[in-house]
Amino acid sequence: MRSARGAALLRHLILGGFSAVIAMPLLWVLRVSLTDKATAYRLPPEIGEIGLQNYVEVFTAFDFTRWFGNSVTVAVLATLVSLPAAAMMAYAAARFRTGGWPLMLGVLASQMIPPIVLVLPMFLVFTTLVPVPGLVAITIAHVAINLPFMAWIMASFFDADTRMLEEAARCDGATRWQAFTRITVPVAMPGIIAAGLLGFILSWNEFLYALLLGNHSSQTLAVGLASLETHAGVNIAPLAAATLLALAPVLLLLPFLQTYLVKGLSLGALK
Amino acid sequence: MERRDRRFGWMLSAPGLLLLGAVVLFPIVWAGLTSFFDYTLLMPGYDSFVGIGNYRMAAGQGEFLHSAWITLLFVVAVVAIQFVIGMVVALALNDARRGKSVYYLILLCPLLINPVVVGLMWRMILHPTLGIVNWLLGTVGIAPVNWLGAPDMAFWTVVLVDIWHQVSFMVVLLLAGLSALPTEPYEAARCDGATAFQRFWHITLPLMRPVIIVTLLIRMIFAIKTYDIIYIMTRGGPGVATDLISYFIYRRAFVSLDLGQACAMAVMLLVVIAGMTAMLWRAMRQVGE
Repeated sequence: MRSARGAALLRHLILGGFSAVIAMPLLWVLRVSLTDKATAYRLPPEIGEIGLQNYVEVFTAFDFTRWFGNSVTVAVLATLVSLPAAAMMAYAAARFRTGGWPLMLGVLASQMIPPIVLVLPMFLVFTTLVPVPGLVAITIAHVAINLPFMAWIMASFFDADTRMLEEAARCDGATRWQAFTRITVPVAMPGIIAAGLLGFILSWNEFLYALLLGNHSSQTLAVGLASLETHAGVNIAPLAAATLLALAPVLLLLPFLQTYLVKGLSLGALK
Repeated sequence: MERRDRRFGWMLSAPGLLLLGAVVLFPIVWAGLTSFFDYTLLMPGYDSFVGIGNYRMAAGQGEFLHSAWITLLFVVAVVAIQFVIGMVVALALNDARRGKSVYYLILLCPLLINPVVVGLMWRMILHPTLGIVNWLLGTVGIAPVNWLGAPDMAFWTVVLVDIWHQVSFMVVLLLAGLSALPTEPYEAARCDGATAFQRFWHITLPLMRPVIIVTLLIRMIFAIKTYDIIYIMTRGGPGVATDLISYFIYRRAFVSLDLGQACAMAVMLLVVIAGMTAMLWRAMRQVGE
């Protein structure tokens, strides 16, 4: 009994220490974001006055609203384009074995391609052959990340048996398309939404394509924040506030995603 | 299967396939094409075909080989350390009764954080004179560390930051594998008086093998792609101490303006990734049995 208690204590020491290392930097940035500019730099740390002035300043001192808007636009558009195409492809692969294993291997490989490989030709095409606005170019590039990821994840959702329901619908005279849209899609909706949210996060956090394919007016949050680094005289207090605001949407999604996150991270290999 | 089923399947797949062709396949072909030309941003154009010249040049270049070597070191270091920490935490979490969901929620956070934000955050924290870490070290009598300014240190700093950012990936996946293990072998081993370490070594590790391989391969492939934290934290420096391959290719293309050579290097990188993807594909089939 004694050793069991010792083991439990050891476990909580490990987990507590680990959680602290994970959480401390985030809490520190939170603390910096709430202090006034001078106090933010002072060591040893002083409590000073706690307030939200940095969060207000973010919107006036930086182009924050535009960055945020651009990030939302790109992530929503890329997800809306990718999700239906990926869902149909995943369903076809799961139900009719369309394309067989070569197609699935292609989808897996597409997710693994380093962005630096695709961004070079995309840059060439978008600067010489088909000039498109920055936001469009970034959206197109994000489809290259989102689409294969979503298709891969969803293929395992459709393996689950809605087959019987579909067959029943077919017997009642529904077409294949009707069986898919009216039976399968509603049943699989939670998974489809989760895949969409995960894709949204991928796009939201993407940096390289947004940096190289866009211009000044199409800066996303990641690019905008990165540019602050090079400006002289940026105060860490507003910078901390800006970084936390950039995290907020994604962290707010976390509770909805928890059950699907393992599947997403392991690319469907684990449940 | 009916012919009409098959046709319906292809009709459903068509939009996705067309998109994939346009945004993935076409760019790869274009990069491959460009890699055979002397294409620079100063003199853009496909009029001087150089065959495998760009590949020859790249392979014989000290800087490129250095970058490849640094990338290999980086990948091995982050993946190995993340695996060890990840396994310890996953084992502890798997057996934990109280507080499990709280720990889990905390460790998920870094995984969702934008790498740019991670880089900015750590720059702030590790600032040589204004950062909290050096101040904390000072309170226990340790001299301030030049985290990003000294070549050797900068490499390990980037490794540390990547570990902070991605170690939870290992925890989450290994934990998923651990919680799916059967309980019978453990009961039998307990009856035979096996120690905790023996149980881990002779039961857990062999049973977890497929999961471990998948987890390591995914993490390695993603570690090779590391770009964002380098851009934010070190720009490949000091000197070329943290010049990981993605950043190196980026510099070759957009600082040296040599797109042809950058494309050749990108194609070589792609071949490596393709090989690892093939291994991952086989490993994933084993997990699914």
